Amino acid sequence: MLENLTEMLKGVLEGCVLEIISRGETYGYEITRRLNTLGFTDVVEGTVYTILVRLEKNKLVDTEKKPSDMGPPRKFYLLNDAGRRELVKFWEKWEFISSKIYELKENIQ
Amino acid sequence: MRIQDIIEGKKAWRAHMARVRTLPKEYQIVYREIQKYLYKVGPVELTEGTGLLSGIVDFFEEGVASGKRVLDVTGTDVAAFCDDLIKDSKTYADIYQASVAKEVSKAMDKSMDKTRK
Amino acid sequence: MNFWEKITGSDMTKEWKTFQSRARKLPKEYQEAWKRITTNLWPHSDMTGRNLMPILDGVLGLLEETAADGQSVQEVLGDDIEGFCAALVGEEGAKSFRDKWREQLNNTIAKKLGK
Repeated sequence: MLENLTEMLKGVLEGCVLEIISRGETYGYEITRRLNTLGFTDVVEGTVYTILVRLEKNKLVDTEKKPSDMGPPRKFYLLNDAGRRELVKFWEKWEFISSKIYELKENIQ
Repeated sequence: MRIQDIIEGKKAWRAHMARVRTLPKEYQIVYREIQKYLYKVGPVELTEGTGLLSGIVDFFEEGVASGKRVLDVTGTDVAAFCDDLIKDSKTYADIYQASVAKEVSKAMDKSMDKTRK
Repeated sequence: MNFWEKITGSDMTKEWKTFQSRARKLPKEYQEAWKRITTNLWPHSDMTGRNLMPILDGVLGLLEETAADGQSVQEVLGDDIEGFCAALVGEEGAKSFRDKWREQLNNTIAKKLGK
């Protein structure tokens, strides 16, 4: 695992979380685990939690509390229309940035 | 504010703190330090009910249920966790500064009017 | 006219009275600190004191919490009360103060968790 990815990852993590939620209703712990298995091992639940709080505040997700078989009820997150639009915008931005960065890398003159 | 609101606010607060006390010791410690930090920084959500704070308790309860240590849940940089949490919140200092700027521009307008007359 | 006179006779009186009765329940050195903070903050107040109320509420909450913890006032506020107050209202130097609060938060947690 590369070290100190956190700074670079910060700006795109919100988009990553939106993408994960877009695949279907999920909750904080599951999102964190998904990011961890993807290779972002430094991402802790707290990081994901702060993103979820913001997504909810900005009304990009719908939430529902459901009882869990273990411990307190879990809060589930589901993308709404505004969230879907935000996700499209995220990927557009990402395509732009990554294509430009590659361009920079490939065309060193 | 009606008296009833104040009483209910107090009740809600007591219930909230009672929940905090049911957390394991190390979670309680981190919760209390977070709360103190937020009191100083003063995000507006603090006085808009206990939403911000009770959200943290919800989150901590889930951490406890999954058997995790508190710093594994928040990350070791608890301050970063707090700052992320209130990233796009206004603080009372922001509001205060905005009100000062408004007063200054009002005073400026007034003196401009005077010189015009 | 001082801060208290400013506050009295305005619609803020009731809120201010509640603050004062909360402050009276604090330990002595905390009461002193509260007095110094309000004195420092009052030049920042508008005519009614309204713009300071939420900030004062936060400070009082902080003092109540830390007093209950048995921490010393100095540990909580540091030596520079003036600077602390300026930071509370977002004046110059607020940024470096917030950095200090950040550091304090992480250090206190590390200490209390015995790391």
